Amino acid sequence: MADTWRLIFNPEGDAADMVAYASALVEGRIAGKYMLSTEKLPDTLVVQGFRQKGILAGADVDINKDTAKKYDIKVANYPRSGRGGPKPVGTVNLAEVLKTSSRKFNAVETAPDDPAVLLYTSGTTGRPKGVTLTHRNFAQQCINVSKVLPLDESDTIVLVLPLFHVYGLSNGLISGVYFGTRMTLVPQYSPAKLLEAIEHSKATVLIAIPTMYMHLLQIARTRKASIPKSLRLCVSGGAPLSLTTLREFEEAFQTRIAEGYGLTETTSSVCLNKSGEAFKPGSIGPAAEGVEMRVFDDNDAEVPDGQEGEIVIRSDVVTPGYWNNPEETAEAIRDGWLHTGDLGYRDADGFFFITDRKKDLIIRGGFNISPREIEELLFTHPAIQDAAVIAVHDKRDREAVKACVVLHEGQSVTEREVLDFCSQNLADYKVPKYVEFRPSLPKSATGKILRKELREGYHDDRLLDKQSAGRKEQPHG
Amino acid sequence: MDSAHGLGRMLEEMARKQKKRQALLFDNREVSYRELDENANKIANGLQSLGITRGDRVAMMLPNIPDFVYSFFGIQKLGAVAVPFNTMYKGREIIHILNDCEAKAIITMTNFANLINEIQEDVPSLQHIILTGQRTMVFVSPDSTVNVQMVVGKDRFASGDEAFRVVGELLIDTLKSFGVEAWYKHRGGVRCGGRKIAIVLVSEVENLLVINCITFLGPLKTDDFFRVVWVAPEVKDKVMEPTTSVEEQTGTRPSLELFKDALLAALQSRLGISAEEGQLKRDELFGYEKTRALADKK
Repeated sequence: MADTWRLIFNPEGDAADMVAYASALVEGRIAGKYMLSTEKLPDTLVVQGFRQKGILAGADVDINKDTAKKYDIKVANYPRSGRGGPKPVGTVNLAEVLKTSSRKFNAVETAPDDPAVLLYTSGTTGRPKGVTLTHRNFAQQCINVSKVLPLDESDTIVLVLPLFHVYGLSNGLISGVYFGTRMTLVPQYSPAKLLEAIEHSKATVLIAIPTMYMHLLQIARTRKASIPKSLRLCVSGGAPLSLTTLREFEEAFQTRIAEGYGLTETTSSVCLNKSGEAFKPGSIGPAAEGVEMRVFDDNDAEVPDGQEGEIVIRSDVVTPGYWNNPEETAEAIRDGWLHTGDLGYRDADGFFFITDRKKDLIIRGGFNISPREIEELLFTHPAIQDAAVIAVHDKRDREAVKACVVLHEGQSVTEREVLDFCSQNLADYKVPKYVEFRPSLPKSATGKILRKELREGYHDDRLLDKQSAGRKEQPHG
Repeated sequence: MDSAHGLGRMLEEMARKQKKRQALLFDNREVSYRELDENANKIANGLQSLGITRGDRVAMMLPNIPDFVYSFFGIQKLGAVAVPFNTMYKGREIIHILNDCEAKAIITMTNFANLINEIQEDVPSLQHIILTGQRTMVFVSPDSTVNVQMVVGKDRFASGDEAFRVVGELLIDTLKSFGVEAWYKHRGGVRCGGRKIAIVLVSEVENLLVINCITFLGPLKTDDFFRVVWVAPEVKDKVMEPTTSVEEQTGTRPSLELFKDALLAALQSRLGISAEEGQLKRDELFGYEKTRALADKK
């Protein structure tokens, strides 16, 4: 091994040089190895500058060439990798696995109560907990769906909701395969892409969240002629859908929307309020077949119809518990009943209504956000003495995260710095939208933060006003 | 579906009943139930050969692409446990999840390779990183970036990890000579106050290591780039996590010439290796031209 390397210094290179040099050096060396070349090539160091801006990207990246030209940006592609291109050390290439493995495999026999999936969800106690879902949970969910919303092989479902979330995974992908439907995948949501997917695949079933229905309706209004009419059935969940949107969407797309309610802990949907059939505005519907749903008081005794309490669920769709977390499991599932943390009541017809949330959870776009998790991060900031995180409403009336922060004496930090600190450590949807600096936080005698006082002036629109039961209400998925 | 049979069998049975029926539509491609089932089998075989067995946890950090579906059912066929999680999660959150479930493997986009590389050390259970899709996107700009590449024999370093570490240290030495205090995070991230100042990626092909490093000498302005290339918002902050540069740290941007000299000095003092300026040889030039032509093709 010679201890002199060859240096190639190219101050005036461009983006394409980054792959071209590597490839030249590799091919030269490999040719030498097989003695196709007479020259012995040394270890090499390339130091390269750039004469113009550039992007080096995968061959399938969407690039706007006109804009590139306008801004003098060189666009270079990684050539589609042929046999044995370089791959990051210590990794396995999935495409290679698909190319080289046998297509025969006999599925391993599993027990019904074997875990099939763990889905991490934020609770009130800080870091995400893994909800264990078993083969039995998914099987029961499919059976429940077959009773309330049967699909078949002639259906095409749009899978636009992320498959890492219980709603898209359970009611989208797994139900889709269970019924043998055709599934059209949308990897990145935009209203136009969703509409195109519906049109292109002549989709018959759409499973989405209220924002998506609102967006589709907005586009549809501007291009009346070409609204696809193929949808026979839509399901909305994750947050409440306004009655106006529901009606207008049904009219424009000539379809029906059913609203679902469910949790990660219940393998998604447990009840459905079906427009066009027995339907009550503001309700989450009656419990699905295969699901027992009741309302309990603080002593776990059932309360009479019309009286508020905590909604509890017992069913084969209910998780056996949180992964490696017997305490939280025992807290949530008592005597076989999953305590949802949602407060509500049942009317005389067996329809459920949600009125409040027992836990300090923030829900944005169907994703649970734990105030505690964000607070615990803020506590690690050297300038921050105390912090409380609450839900407020943004301009579009969606729940948004607000951080109330108390600084150590003599410290100063800008809102931008707090937000930057959060972005570096948290997924974007958890990053606070607002920061308020306060001299102190309101606390109870026992030192518990009084979130209600912090929230004062902010109305939680998820909460159904019993007196004017006109608004719709649908907590998390 | 009889719950005794599980999700893997569910797909198997559907594929037997519906062989030719379309299962997936994606990007104008169609995948039948039979193909879906076979691809899931291939993943199951692949995972099995990596030592994944019934009950093991396999994490998935993927958007809604066919590979999600193949991987999910491949995991089910093995009787293993799928742990799909939000593609928007960042290092801290991913570490928590992978450690909590003691994931043995993760299947993710090549885009996220850097992220996973960096945290692998914090997740002792994680043995396999399985990558799919586009490679990491790289932005370069005359005012900001310098690219350093090394093509060396594998025997130059004891392991891939060692290559990451040594190259990371070379960059830290180089930056130090300009008055920048940076530190090396496992596998590929050289940081300064939480922000990336250099990125290292070590790849292998046959008996060679190909090492790519981008170092920021001046601030990288990304606005123009995001006008040209459409990047999913969730990938954006992985493509471009917060960066800093020598100029932002010290007020001065070193010339390319000075950077090269500092790097060569570090190579000499840390590894005892000198470098002599040279050119590509005839065979190499041929490879260079060929790849350039491919890279320029639309």
